This record gives sequence, structure tokens and C-alpha cells, in this order.
Amino acid sequence: MIDEIREIAKQYPESKSAILPALRIAQEQYGWLSREAFEQVAEALDLTPAYCMSVASFYDMFQLEPVGTHMVEVCTNVCCGLVNAQAVLEAFERELGVSPGSTTADGNVTLRAVECLGGCSTPTIVAVDRRYRQSVTPEDVPGIVAELKHG
Amino acid sequence: MAETTIGFEPPALVLAGAIEHPLTDITSYRAVGGYAQLERARAMSPHDVTDQLIQSNLRGRGGAFFPTGRKASFIPTPDKVAKPIYLTVNADESEPGTFKDREIMRRVPHRLIEGCLIAAHAIQSKHVFIYIRGEYSTEYDVLAAALEEARGAGLLGDVELTIHRGAGAYICGEETALLESLEGKRGQPRSKPPFPAIQGLYASPTLINNVETITNVPKVLELGPQEYAQIGAPPDSTGTRVFCLSGNVVRPGAYETPHGITVRHLIEDIGGGIANGRTLKAVMVGGSSFPVMTPDELDTKLDADSLGERGLFIGSGVITAIDDQACIVQFALRVAQFYMHESCGKCTPCRVGTRWLVQILRAVEDGSASENDLEVLLDVCDRIIGKCLCVLGDSAAMPVASCVTKFRDEFRAHLEHGGCPFGEDSSLAHLFAPVDQHAQVTA
Amino acid sequence: MSAELVRVTIDEKEVHVAKGTGIIETALAAGIEIPVFCYEPRLGAPIGACRMCLVEIEGMPKLQAGCTLTAQDGMVVRTARTSAKAAEGQNATLEFILVNHPLDCPVCDKGGECPLQDLTFRYGPGKTRMNFEKTTFEKPIPISPTIALDRERCILCYRCTRFSEDVSEDGQLVARNRGAMSIITTFDDEPYSGAFTGNVTELCPVGALLPTQYRFEARPWEIQSVPTVCGMCPVGCNTSVDMREGKVKRVRSRNHHEIDEGWLCDKGRFAFTHLRSSDRIVDPIKRVRLRGFEPVSWDDALDTAEQLLRAAHGRVVVALSGSETVEQAYALAKLVRHGTDSHDAVLPEEVSGALDAYRLPLSAIADAQVVAVLGDVPLSESAPIVDLWVRKARRNGARIVTSEDEAKGADRIVLIWSGPGGRAGVRVAQLAERLGLADKDGCGAFFVPATPNGRGVADAWAAASDSEPGDLVSIGLLIVSGDEAAGDPNVRGLAERAEAVIAVSMFHGLAVGWADLVLPGTSYLEREGTYVNIEGRLQRLRRTAAPPGPSELEWIAQLASRLDVALSPHAPAVFAEVSERCYGGLSYSEVGERAALRAYEGAPAHVDEPALPEPQAKGDGLRLVCYKPLFSGPAVERVPELQFQRPQAEVELARADAERRGIKTGDEVTLTGGGASVTLRARVNKNLRAGVARVAREHAGDVLGTVDVARAGVTA
Ligand SMILES: Cc1cc2nc3c(=O)[nH]c(=O)nc-3n(C[C@H](O)[C@H](O)[C@H](O)COP(=O)(O)O)c2cc1C
Ligand code: SF4
Ligand code: FES
Repeated sequence: MIDEIREIAKQYPESKSAILPALRIAQEQYGWLSREAFEQVAEALDLTPAYCMSVASFYDMFQLEPVGTHMVEVCTNVCCGLVNAQAVLEAFERELGVSPGSTTADGNVTLRAVECLGGCSTPTIVAVDRRYRQSVTPEDVPGIVAELKHG
Repeated sequence: MAETTIGFEPPALVLAGAIEHPLTDITSYRAVGGYAQLERARAMSPHDVTDQLIQSNLRGRGGAFFPTGRKASFIPTPDKVAKPIYLTVNADESEPGTFKDREIMRRVPHRLIEGCLIAAHAIQSKHVFIYIRGEYSTEYDVLAAALEEARGAGLLGDVELTIHRGAGAYICGEETALLESLEGKRGQPRSKPPFPAIQGLYASPTLINNVETITNVPKVLELGPQEYAQIGAPPDSTGTRVFCLSGNVVRPGAYETPHGITVRHLIEDIGGGIANGRTLKAVMVGGSSFPVMTPDELDTKLDADSLGERGLFIGSGVITAIDDQACIVQFALRVAQFYMHESCGKCTPCRVGTRWLVQILRAVEDGSASENDLEVLLDVCDRIIGKCLCVLGDSAAMPVASCVTKFRDEFRAHLEHGGCPFGEDSSLAHLFAPVDQHAQVTA
Repeated sequence: MSAELVRVTIDEKEVHVAKGTGIIETALAAGIEIPVFCYEPRLGAPIGACRMCLVEIEGMPKLQAGCTLTAQDGMVVRTARTSAKAAEGQNATLEFILVNHPLDCPVCDKGGECPLQDLTFRYGPGKTRMNFEKTTFEKPIPISPTIALDRERCILCYRCTRFSEDVSEDGQLVARNRGAMSIITTFDDEPYSGAFTGNVTELCPVGALLPTQYRFEARPWEIQSVPTVCGMCPVGCNTSVDMREGKVKRVRSRNHHEIDEGWLCDKGRFAFTHLRSSDRIVDPIKRVRLRGFEPVSWDDALDTAEQLLRAAHGRVVVALSGSETVEQAYALAKLVRHGTDSHDAVLPEEVSGALDAYRLPLSAIADAQVVAVLGDVPLSESAPIVDLWVRKARRNGARIVTSEDEAKGADRIVLIWSGPGGRAGVRVAQLAERLGLADKDGCGAFFVPATPNGRGVADAWAAASDSEPGDLVSIGLLIVSGDEAAGDPNVRGLAERAEAVIAVSMFHGLAVGWADLVLPGTSYLEREGTYVNIEGRLQRLRRTAAPPGPSELEWIAQLASRLDVALSPHAPAVFAEVSERCYGGLSYSEVGERAALRAYEGAPAHVDEPALPEPQAKGDGLRLVCYKPLFSGPAVERVPELQFQRPQAEVELARADAERRGIKTGDEVTLTGGGASVTLRARVNKNLRAGVARVAREHAGDVLGTVDVARAGVTA
């Protein structure tokens, strides 16, 4: 991982610029940004773990606490909200049995409400494992949840 | 899974050739004349390319509508500075209601790349960065594949192009925050001056433009600046816009039309009117960062001057229709929550003010506020506007203030009713705002 | 530098300032104060975050953060005094800052010296319009044993994090989260450690970061501040020591822009509680045959001392610590040399006079093009402020190199030798001569002595007499001056040979048990006198707390009169004697509160010494470099809050050396050499030069010389 990060850093005039890609790689590897993950990134880019944590905590896509194997992110900004986002979010809450910001007891799925994902003309946008599903309705939710349970 | 509706009214420039199907591979892009303008541009002097941009009066599609050619002309020439010159393309697109850059990257990635290379030539930059918002995974894949094709075809020449992925922070769309983020820091805006054209990325001269702006560049050269400048609403709002139509309309979608069509035309004719037989209450124009429009303003033309006369902004080309099922207080609250969540926390008025706005709006919404709180609300907006380090603060305050002033009766009704008069019927009732995932502390 | 003057109008007053002067400073030049929080020029470029300094600039539609602008010709600035718009901006900012502030001023240690409190008093709203829940946090959080953080009071000015990132460059104190949820924190709740952490308690403009030692200890109006200098390392940072009811309550920086720029290391800031250590010796202690040791009166002690001095018959040896004041060392020297005709001393490491030709203020390091840091002891351990200057130089674009060859060719070269070796600075002086640095602007050379005032002590010893040391076959009396000398194994060796020993010591456990007479020592915080620092600058120490008994100068003067030696008990008079001989007759008052660096006159001395080869490790081994850590020594050992700062049991290795041995950071490694071995954790340091294994003295055990280094369990 350290070598991979150092390789990416070569694309930039200054290696610090590679911190977002580096954190992304570390997160993929560890599932979340654990202490060890930060230490690895710090080592690779010659930064302090505190610095890496500070940067990571600024961005919504980095997980500073353990999360589920899968991630369901429902856009709840106004454009999706005007159409049906709240109902979609509630459907996920029901199906998964968790509230936004938390993870199912089996550690399989983390549900999050997020800001506008840039898919406002096909509401509601749900990012499942960081891939967009468009025009999701409450009726689609059980199917998506089943997919995550088995897949 | 429904795809975004794509439409246009002639001429299609940015999305030309990609209305029916995405134009992602280099062969099909070449078939519609792709990369011909790059060749032409490289045969021209950098100065001449910039000059064509100036003559076309192409303006920034990222929000501020700044003349693109003029901005490019602020970049010092390499003989005047000992540092490299950078071009940075803003693909962070996170303004609520905006999705045009996403469609552009999915549909015409090569036109964006061609635009980058032409613009790089104009400012004599050897390194281009495209800062793409972290959530755009598919778009990243498409763009990265197109870049590999272009590189394989030897089109990059001695120019390096790096696609840099963000990680979820609206503020990184603000140009100086974007640079900080690209430098590997927390994405907090820098105080200007110095301006990026003089001290941008790694303290070197840097041009920053929006995806749509840059994608227009090959078309400016193709049509010639004079012809380009005739399109739309000259002299200031030239060319087309990829409007992002959403909300309670029958046919939401990304529609490329010349500047200057009316909001009514976009909503009623192109968008098929308000869905479910309901009536229009308000329109979010330009993005969530700007004052809202009321139905009596629908005949306003979508160009900077006509909107400006009404204190409105074209922003990033957003038109979101809000019907009468939505509570406007809840709308204002949800917008305010967005800015509170996205405030970077660097400057005081924005960090504190956005939270305060949310607190007051929440109290209005649940009916626990007083008439005086409405005054405080407007006053807090006033105390934010024009006093922050970047305009995110203004972006939070302007829509809220416009909701209060334009819909004061609805705000009052909440106070009188002791809660939302729409009850559970409001489409925005209980709309859940993101919990700050990193906060282990109470706020 | 061009000093082009520009005309700026501020609140209708015209001022002329150099182009590029900050607007805050420009306003000050016009006698106008623009309130600031985040602005602090020592932290680098302004960030314009707090928005306290909003002003109206003619021609600009929006209010501007004055701190981010510089003076341009013809600029017209209106502050809150003359612009309603600016006043509204300022009020807005203050209201926002106070919205979440706990307003717990009565129980806040910052109360009375808090910029936020002052500005609220001057400009603030009388009441709050905030009817909602304030942001609340658990408080206060110890971010280290020495610093407490109260997040509710924090106004997020980022001064502390900028210090950590851009000044000390430790990268440990950071902001976490975004927006209203932002907090100041460290990684994973680890304590904020490093040489300079305490500076954030002075930088913080509110009561968010405060020293734990000062918690509920005093109110500013009960305090008396004594301007003095720190005596903990050869830099001699200027300090202000705050006293309440005769006790030292805290130590703060007293910005000397040429020496410390207002920074102070944690040892200088937090170690003062050693004054009140429970093992402090308060009465003289005498060996009593049969019964061991017992406290005696000062009269009794001086009788004994007199007897011992007389009985030695010219065979007195004085072992000095290098932490004595010039006056104290001179007094002792005069007593012994004139009173007993003994001329032998164990002096602290010398500093060669040849360096004088290359004298520079430390601040000049920041403007150098090349800084050569030679020697293997980290500057951050030997003279921490110098390390900050070198970092600043690097940020200003200087090349930081570690060898003579790399230094060549630049216009402004600064050489710094941070031992061991270097023969008292002779080597660095020779190097400076080879590079032709004498009389070249901005060029100079420093040698970091091992003791805070070694040079002054040596000057004083020499000034007391011209007689040469004799050939001593036996030692009649050994006088051990100070705890550092008492802790030195060589001095202990002499003590074993001596017929009698008098020791001056602050703490039990150092000399009690082997000295015949122990006289209570004092700390630099308890003395009047002067020190000579690394630059060769004389600086003045003032007494803050009173020592438990008479000071060294007082009792030495008494003893001297018994031996018919004329000696004043007052520092100025003693200094006058020394000064006449070695400081050009400079008077005590001229040393002043912010001492100037005396210019060197005369030609650079040519040092004609054979160039010794650099010490090399034998065979495959590494050369062991042991250093005295900053956080060590008798004072630090007595401050519980500083124990976490003491160095880890680790060995630093250069990357190449580590790789060749298959060693990674964190591995357990065994060092073997000189017939001993020790197991330590490895840390790969890319800035360390190859061929060296560096260990803090206290962790080196008995290992010596060339060492074999191998992963524990693997034989080399
Ligand atoms: C809070 C904030 C967010 C912004 N987000 C974006 C964005 O996502 N995309 C974008 O192109 N411009 C965004 N901008 C505008 C940029 O700062 C900048 O003006 C623009 O990228 C310049 O490009 P243009 O001249 O081509 O429009 C944002 C501005 C602010 C203040
Ligand atoms: S702790 Fe103090 S110095 Fe640090 S950001 Fe908060 S107010 Fe500023
Ligand atoms: S002092 Fe100028 S913004 Fe803080």
C-alpha cells in the first residue's frame, strides 16, 4: 500500500497532494480509517497521522469510525426531497432496522442520509457502495436491501 | 433505472452529438469533428486563442459568470514567471440542483478533454488538473477511460492531465478551497488577494474554470467567436446553457438551450409544467445558493442581466420547481442545514451564522419561535452577507432571507399555528438532514 | 530591500509607511487599533479567518479583512471608528464569536488578560440575542499533562494549529471535522508532545488553551512579572516570570526578536516547579562522623568551609557546571584563586574565541540562503529555539545541508555546529574561515555549547587571575559547583580522590552522601547576574523567587572576607570587575532588559590546528552518538508534568543503514559495543546521516564507541 501511494504521489508536483487518493486506498483496504490506516498514509507521504486525520475529517466520504460492509447513501437535499427522498430514506430505515448514520447489527450495511449527489432530475438518488441508483422509489428499497444481504 | 432526460433547443454546442447517445469513445467523437479544434488551436498563438475567447464573451458556468477569456488573460506568460502555470478544471459540482457537469462528463468526456488542452495552450500550461467530486464514480471511470484514449492517440503532447478525485465537501467547489484540497490540505478557502491567476496551485499562476465553461471552448473555436457571440442573449449572456431542471415538474432533465429563454418556457414547455396537477409556489433559480423566485417572476429571461434586474442569479443553471405541497419554511430550513453541514469552519460569520440560522428556522418550523425571531433571522442573514471569507456564507443567507421576505405570511402562519400548517402533508416534512458523521460531540 | 513609502489614509489620518506594510500595522502607525484575533504575523501569512478586523476600503464594495491587506499608495481605509459599515461588520463578528462562548470569565484563568474579554468590553453587545443551545463540549480536556483545552471557549482562530503546522512543524495539534463541528485536537487522544507545545497557551487569544500548572493559581492583577532570561539552555530566551506571593506561577516569553521571536520551549516554560521540589536542600548539610549527615546553620557551614579551604593548602580544585552566572563563577574563582592560591578547575566545555568574528544574531539564520547544520546532536535537543530558526529559514527558501561541501557557493551562509565534538567551536570557526565568511553580510557561525553559560563561566574563571594551574599530585579540597557537575561521572571520580569535598547543590540525592559539606544551591530563577549565550550575547538574569537561604554570591562574599579577599555580594559590582577584564568595561545596566549583541571588532583569528579526521565507526558498525535530551536533567526530573516528554527508549538510524539491516521503524534492535549491549526500539530518521546510531544518553546504558546494530534476536 505504501508503495502504491508513493507511486500515485508521483503524478503531483508535491506529494502531499496525494493525500485524498491515499486515504481512499487506505479506506478501501481497512474498511475505515483506523489508527493503523492513518499511520500508513502518514508514513507513505511523510506527514503526521494527526495531519492525515485532520484532512480526512474534513471530507464526508472518509469514515473515521468502523462502518458496514455495504454503504447506502440516500440524497436528502431539496430536489430529491421535493419528490420522495424522505419516503425512500424511511423505507431503508424500515427494511434495515437502523436510523441514518448507523450500521445494521450484523455489520452488513451502513445507512446514511447525504447531501445532493448531483442527480436531481432522477430523484431519489441512492448511492449503493458509491454507485448511483437513479429514480429510486420506496418500492425499490426491499429489492436493494435483499441484494445487499445476499451479495 | 431511469436515465436523465437530455433535451436541447438548437443549437446544441456542449452536448452536440450526444443528445441521443453518449459520445464516449474517441472514434465517435472524432466523427463529429472532435479534436479538430485542438489541432487548429495549437497552430495558433496562445494569445490568439485567448483573444477568441475574449471576443466570444464566453462566461463562467460555475456560478460567478466571469468572462473566461479575460480570466485567462490575467495569467502571466511563462517568460514573466519562474514557476509552472496550471489549469484546473472545476468538476466538483456539488451545488444542490446542479447535475450538468456530471452529464457533460458522462456524455462528452472528449470534448471536455479537448477544451482542457486548448485552454492549456492558451495559457501555456503544461499541467492540467481536473478536480472531480468524489461521489462521481461512474463519471470518473468514463473520463479516465477517455483520457487514456486521448493519451494513447498522442493528443496530450507535452501536457500532463491529472484527474483528481475529491472526497465529499461542497466547499471544494470554491476555487481557492479547491486548490487547497488539491494541495493535500483541508479544503478551506484562501483569502484573496492574491488571486489564483497570480498565486494559485502551489503558489503558481493558475486558471480555474468550470467543466461546462471548458467544454464550450472547442465550440467557440469551431463556430468562431463572432458567431458564438450571436447565440443566446448577447452581449453578456452568449452561447448556450445546459440547464438543470428538477423538482416538481413533469419532465425534469438536462436541457441545453441558448441563454435568454424564459423560466416559464423552461418549466412549462420543455419541462411539461408542474407535475400531478399542482401549482407552482417558488422556483429555485441558479442553485440553492441564491434568492428564490416567485411565480409572478416566471417570465424573467434566463440571462444574467434579466435575472440581475430582479436580484436573481443564473448561478450554475439550476431551475428547481417547488410546488404548493412544499412548506417554504421547511425548504429554507433544509437549505440552511445544507450550508451548516458544508461550512468549512474557517471564518466566524459562516461557521457560527449558518448554525444559528438552522436553530432559528427549526424553532420557526416547530412553532416555538416568536415574531422577533424572524427579525433576528433576517438580521443574522444581514450580518453574514458580505462579511465572510468566501461567498458560502452569502449562499446560506441569501435564499433564507429571500424566503422570509417573499413568503413572510407562511413564516408567520407557523408562529400562529404553533407548527407547520401543512402538517404531514408537506412534501418536505421531516426531511432528514445528514448527521455529521465525524462529530463525536454535541452541537 | 526597497523602502518605497506609500501614503495611506486611515480614518482621515494620513500615514506614510513602507509599501507592503500590513494594514493592521499601518493603522497602528496612525495610532489606530484594529481589533484582531486570528492575525499573528509570527505564524506566517495572514488567513483572514476570524473577521474581527473588517474595514472599509475605498473602491472595494465589500468589507475587507484588514489583516490580509497591505498598504498601497493612495489607499483609503475606514475602520469602525469612521465607517458605519465597518462598525456593523465588527459588531457582527463579535456577536457571532460570543454566540457560543460560555462566558465563564469569572472562573477562567485567562480572565483579565483575555483579548476576547477586552474587545467585548470595548465593542461588544450588552446582551445576547442567542436564545438557543450553545455548542457544548466536554471540558476541559487535558491535551497533554501540561496543557488543558476548553473547547467551548475556543473561537477557532487556528493560531494553535498554525503554530503546530507552520512554526514548530510538529504537525500534531490539528483541527478535526468541518464547520460548526470543528474542534482542536491531537491524533487519537495522544498527548501533544514536543519541545514547543506550551507556546499555544500564549497564542490562544481566549481561555481555550491554558497551562495546567497555572490552573486557578492567580489572577492577572495579583501578579508581578519579572523580566529575566531562561537559564536552561545556551539560547537564553527572554522570559517574563509571573510571581504571586513570592512564588513563581508561570513563565512566559518576553519576545526578543533577535533571539527567540517570542517562542519558548517547554523546558523553559514548565520546569520552574523544580524550585518547589520536595527534595530541595534548604539548609547546609554537613558530614558528622559516626552519625552521618545533618543540617547545620549557615554560620557553622561557613566555619567548616573556611577550615576546609585553609586545610587544602593551595590544592583546591573547582568543578563548575556551566550554569553559574558570570558573577557567581567569578566570585568562586576569586575566592579560590586569590584566597587559597589554587588555580585548577574543571570547566564546562569551552567555546573558542575564534568564533567571535562570525558572530550573528540568531534571527539572521532565517534570512540565510544556506544553513549548514553540522554535528550529530539534534538542535531540537541542544538548543531548541535554534531549531525553530532553521525551520523558518527552510520555509523562507534556504537550503538546509549537513556538510561543508554542500554549503559552498551561496551568498548568505550560516554554519551551526551541534556537538558532540567540534572542539569548542574551533572546527566550525575553521570552516567559516575556509568559506571566507568573516565580514560577509548575513554570514556567520554558531557553536552550540553543552551548558547554558559555559562561555561566561570560562570567561569569569579566566578573569579572576592570570596564574597558571599547578601540577597537583593530590586534591585537598574539591568544590563541586552545581548539580550538573555533581552528576558528572568525571567529577565523581575526582571526588573519590579528594581529601574533602564541598558541593553546592539544589537537591538531595545528588551530592549528599559523598560531600563533606553540601551548601544549598539556587536556580537561575533565583539569581541576579549575567549569562553569555550561544551568540556571545550578555544577558541579564533577575531574581524572581527568593532562594531558601543566602545566594551563592552572598555566602561566597562572606567566605572571601574571611580569607581577606575583597568581593562584593552584589551582582553589578562583581560584573564590573569581570567586565573590565573581558567585556570591554560594559556596565551592568548597559546589559539591559533586551540585551544587544556586541559587535566584534578586529580581524578574525586564524585557528591553526591540524584538521582532525572525523571520527569513523570501525568495520561494519555504526558510530554511537549519545546526546543529552532537552527533557532531562535535575530540574526536569522533578517536574511530574514533564515526564511524558522524556525521550523514548529508541535508537535513530539513517534510512540506508536501517534498510541494509532489514530494520523498520518500531522494530526491536540490539546495540552492542564496548562490551555491553542494550535493546531499544528503532526509528528510521531520513534526516540522519548514514553511519550513525543516535540514542539519548539515558537509554544508551554502557554501550560505547562503534556499535553493531541488529534486529533483536538476530545476530549481526
Ligand atoms: C461555495 C462555492 C461552491 C462552488 N462550487 C462550484 C462547483 O461545484 N463547480 C464550479 O464550477 N464552480 C463552483 N463555484 C465557483 C468557483 O469558485 C469558480 O468561480 C468557478 O469554478 C470558476 O469557473 P468559471 O469561471 O468557469 O465559472 C463555487 C463557488 C462557491 C463560493
Ligand atoms: S484553541 Fe485558542 S488558539 Fe486554538 S483555535 Fe481555539 S481559540 Fe484559536
Ligand atoms: S484578524 Fe483579520 S480576519 Fe482575523
